[in-house]
Amino acid sequence: MKLNARVLVAGLAVVAPLVVVLVMNLGRDPHVIGSPLVGRVAPGFTLRPLDGGEPVTLASLRGRPVVLNFWATWCVPCFQEHPLLVSAARSLGDRVRFIGVIYEDSEEQVRGFLARQGAAYPSLVDPGSRTAIAFGVFGVPETYFIDAEGKIAAKHIGPLDEPSLEAKLRQAGLSP
Amino acid sequence: MKRLILAAAVVFVGAPFAVAQDAPTGAEPSRVVGAPRGKALDGDALAARTEDVAGLLRCPVCQGLSVADSPATMAVNMKGQVKELLARGYDQEQILAYFENSYGEFVRLEPPLRGVNWLVWLGPVLALAAGGVIVAWTLRARRRAGSVEPEAPLPGPDTLPDDPKLARHVRRVRELAYGWPDGRPPGTSA
Repeated sequence: MKLNARVLVAGLAVVAPLVVVLVMNLGRDPHVIGSPLVGRVAPGFTLRPLDGGEPVTLASLRGRPVVLNFWATWCVPCFQEHPLLVSAARSLGDRVRFIGVIYEDSEEQVRGFLARQGAAYPSLVDPGSRTAIAFGVFGVPETYFIDAEGKIAAKHIGPLDEPSLEAKLRQAGLSP
Repeated sequence: MKRLILAAAVVFVGAPFAVAQDAPTGAEPSRVVGAPRGKALDGDALAARTEDVAGLLRCPVCQGLSVADSPATMAVNMKGQVKELLARGYDQEQILAYFENSYGEFVRLEPPLRGVNWLVWLGPVLALAAGGVIVAWTLRARRRAGSVEPEAPLPGPDTLPDDPKLARHVRRVRELAYGWPDGRPPGTSA
């Protein structure tokens, strides 16, 4: 009987921590991996806009919140969030800079897409996905909200909806 | 007008500041991990080291594949950057730290020896040692408890249980199984 009690305690000592870890992580989405860049100064870049013109540097966009959207035409959720981004860019005007960064896509495809779906902000060409890798992009769409000082205030994985766009713009310092 | 002047002041004062702060992380490796610490590689050595280091990086768009093993465009691009960094003289740890800066510790296939990660590396060794200690204790306790009880000799083929009723059944089973009830063929002796 004494032995059984010991076995029970030993068994609990092994199983209890496992159960605690399991329960603690049940509500967590394993696909969401926190970005170490949130709260830090965004990686700089100098990228060519798809429609020509001067290269865009991140540093030149300082002074107001920037919405940096990594996207591709082959990505269905990107297609879903596109109208929201375009209308937000139009309605917010100068208060926020919206920038698209094209991720693993051909320039013709993107041009065709933007001609059909409408464009309200520049899309930048990212050769070798250097900027995507510097930002720690896992897949598209991913959107980074950069504040007026150039710090990454928030990151959104997956297609944006209106409430999360508003909430994250506020985190990036946009006053309502 | 006031706002215009203010804006102009911000642009003029802020411009050199902004340029100085361009690419503070990520884009330019030296800003993230400092000056190259290793020897600049080329040729076969570069190709071999590229495979080694890319093998230590997790491909972010794959399931449990290293950058060296994955054919994904993202992995190919990352491998290209690894090669470029090695050619510029960055060492393995600097390159891993460079990608970790963007992707977090997740990007390392082998958890580095720090913080809770020590458990991953030392846990098995500790568990083995603890198991050894438990076995040693148990053995010593048994030896100290004195003579282990002599085990009862195994019954031979022709022994029968003391209980006559049970003995009858055993004989019956032997007869059914072997054709004879006494544990050995008729005519042979023990």
